[in-house]
Amino acid sequence: MNRLTIAWRNITRNHRRSLLTGGIVAFGFASFALAGGFMAQSFDGLRDNAIRSGLGHVQFADARAFDQSEETTLQFGIGQTGKAMQVLRADTAVEVVMPRVEFYGLVSAGGRSLPFAGIGVDPEAEARGSNIPRSVHQGQWLDAKDRGVVIGGGLAKALNARLGSSVTLLATTSDGTLNAIDATVRGIADISIKELSERYLALPLPLAQELLSAPDTVSRISVILKEPAREPETAARLVEQLKQSGVTLGVKIWRELAVFYQQVRMLYLAIFGFMGAVLLVVVFLSTANATLMSVTERTREIGTLRALGARPRRITSSFILEGALLGLASSVAGTVLSLLITFAINISNIEMPPPPGSVKGFIISVQIIPSAYLAAATAMMITLALASFFPARRAARAPIVESLAHV
Amino acid sequence: MNATPLLSGRGLTKDYPMGAERVHALRGVDVDVYPGDFLALRGPSGSGKTTLINLLGLLDMPDKGTLLLEGRDTATLSENERADTRRDRFGFVFQSFNLIPVLTAAENVAYPMLLKPQPRRPSATAPGVALPPASMQLWRAALASILSAKAEPPGDMQARAVDLLAAVGLAGKEHVRPDLLSGGQRQRVAIARALANHPAVIFADEPTASLDSRTADTILDLMKQLNQERGVAFVLSTHDPRVVERAARIIALHDGAIEEGAI
Repeated sequence: MNRLTIAWRNITRNHRRSLLTGGIVAFGFASFALAGGFMAQSFDGLRDNAIRSGLGHVQFADARAFDQSEETTLQFGIGQTGKAMQVLRADTAVEVVMPRVEFYGLVSAGGRSLPFAGIGVDPEAEARGSNIPRSVHQGQWLDAKDRGVVIGGGLAKALNARLGSSVTLLATTSDGTLNAIDATVRGIADISIKELSERYLALPLPLAQELLSAPDTVSRISVILKEPAREPETAARLVEQLKQSGVTLGVKIWRELAVFYQQVRMLYLAIFGFMGAVLLVVVFLSTANATLMSVTERTREIGTLRALGARPRRITSSFILEGALLGLASSVAGTVLSLLITFAINISNIEMPPPPGSVKGFIISVQIIPSAYLAAATAMMITLALASFFPARRAARAPIVESLAHV
Repeated sequence: MNATPLLSGRGLTKDYPMGAERVHALRGVDVDVYPGDFLALRGPSGSGKTTLINLLGLLDMPDKGTLLLEGRDTATLSENERADTRRDRFGFVFQSFNLIPVLTAAENVAYPMLLKPQPRRPSATAPGVALPPASMQLWRAALASILSAKAEPPGDMQARAVDLLAAVGLAGKEHVRPDLLSGGQRQRVAIARALANHPAVIFADEPTASLDSRTADTILDLMKQLNQERGVAFVLSTHDPRVVERAARIIALHDGAIEEGAI
């Protein structure tokens, strides 16, 4: 016989009430765990999207490019790109190296001219390291040997351009003069962010460098790593290797560049924290009545225990232990419930409406996050222990003769 | 009696509020309880028997008067010291048994033993090796309390509980829960529980009131037997003449005052 055994017997002596209280806690636990799992899934999706939309795990550029805006095209461009690319590709931790030229210009087709946000890329590297090629839903992705471009669906619509349409690209070169080239629409991309879809234009790196009259120059080099968990160490090592080769570049980890990801993450955490707090208050209030009833029903028993020599603190702690134990048992039930709901959601392929700023919905998915389960169990145990504490303390301090006379 | 009293109350007074008025439950009662006593507090309902038992058993505090336990004024005891005194020196038997329903008969008997502090084990720490910090020791003690809460080795507690149950005629009922026992059997378990920590005195408030005539006789005989064999004092409140027949001394109460001297 130990206190845990006694606590468990006291929990089970009123099956119906304990089941009701446990049910409330189990649903509270499941809400907590599922929200955590959904949030983690959303974070993962956002992170992957940020990395695979061109940021890479680490990004190299002229140090000034991270803090300042360019006044002229490729003002902070990286020269000697070939040498830098060679060093980066040689490192065993690197999976893909994606050089990029970013610039703005005008695109004309059929008498209409519209501004575009241009990006010159290595088509083969992008196909391996980014999600952008997979967004092409009409036509094909870029080919380095071809003078074809890929434009956003919104831009294609605005230009009234189709696959095979001829377009003229006009941009300011790095030395400030205007240059123009002709190209063909090779593909149309389904870009989920509406504003970007109306401006997006990708072209092979050599074609972009020709347009900007900047051979062997890029704006940034994005790198996909084989082991993303070791980003900071790898980034530092790569910077050192580049320096030893005579190329001095600044470096940023994707987290430092993904402003949108950080904002959404903070927003989610704030919402989750608030909802969690509300949930705990609801569980506390729902279970407090049950624990109060339990303590009140056992008033005479409390008086007896005190007559036998139990100190008030021992009686209070016994009720706290019962609360915590019920919280733990309910959390076990909540774990089973959460796993079942997670499984059901993940196989149901429920499509959610597009998030703000996006034109594409997504399939809802929930991850199993052990830390969320642990946090939920701890929160539920503490909540029930607290719900038991207040009535138990009051009952344990009541005059013994009054407790013994309680009917 | 010439012996030194175990408990000595002088001028014990207790009032209770009842609505806007105060009821005088005890009016300056003088009482002594001696080692090995078998004292009956007799009187009609409302005469103050239960109030006097509650004061003597340290379940309540007098409004006026002094109560000495082996010469020490109980008014100086802290709440925890009063609890420890009840645990170590007193036993209680209630009219409606007051057994813990989730515990078996043996566990009910062993429960007061569990309340005793865990004896310190000899330190296994080698000389010169630093002990864990005090906070760590406290945490360990708390954890041990939850997981074991044993004041004695479990075998000893269990054996003593079984012995006590056998002594009150309940051998073989160790694993039975109170709801499956008769009224007489429950009161026997309560008596065994009262004996758990070798008390100097057992207070029994109307111990036969919930029992049939034959069972009441048996229970009273058992109490008398334990009183004589173990030397434990009994203080019983009752208006049952059978208790009075067996009492060594009787204090008769009426309207909160002693009506008649000790016999």
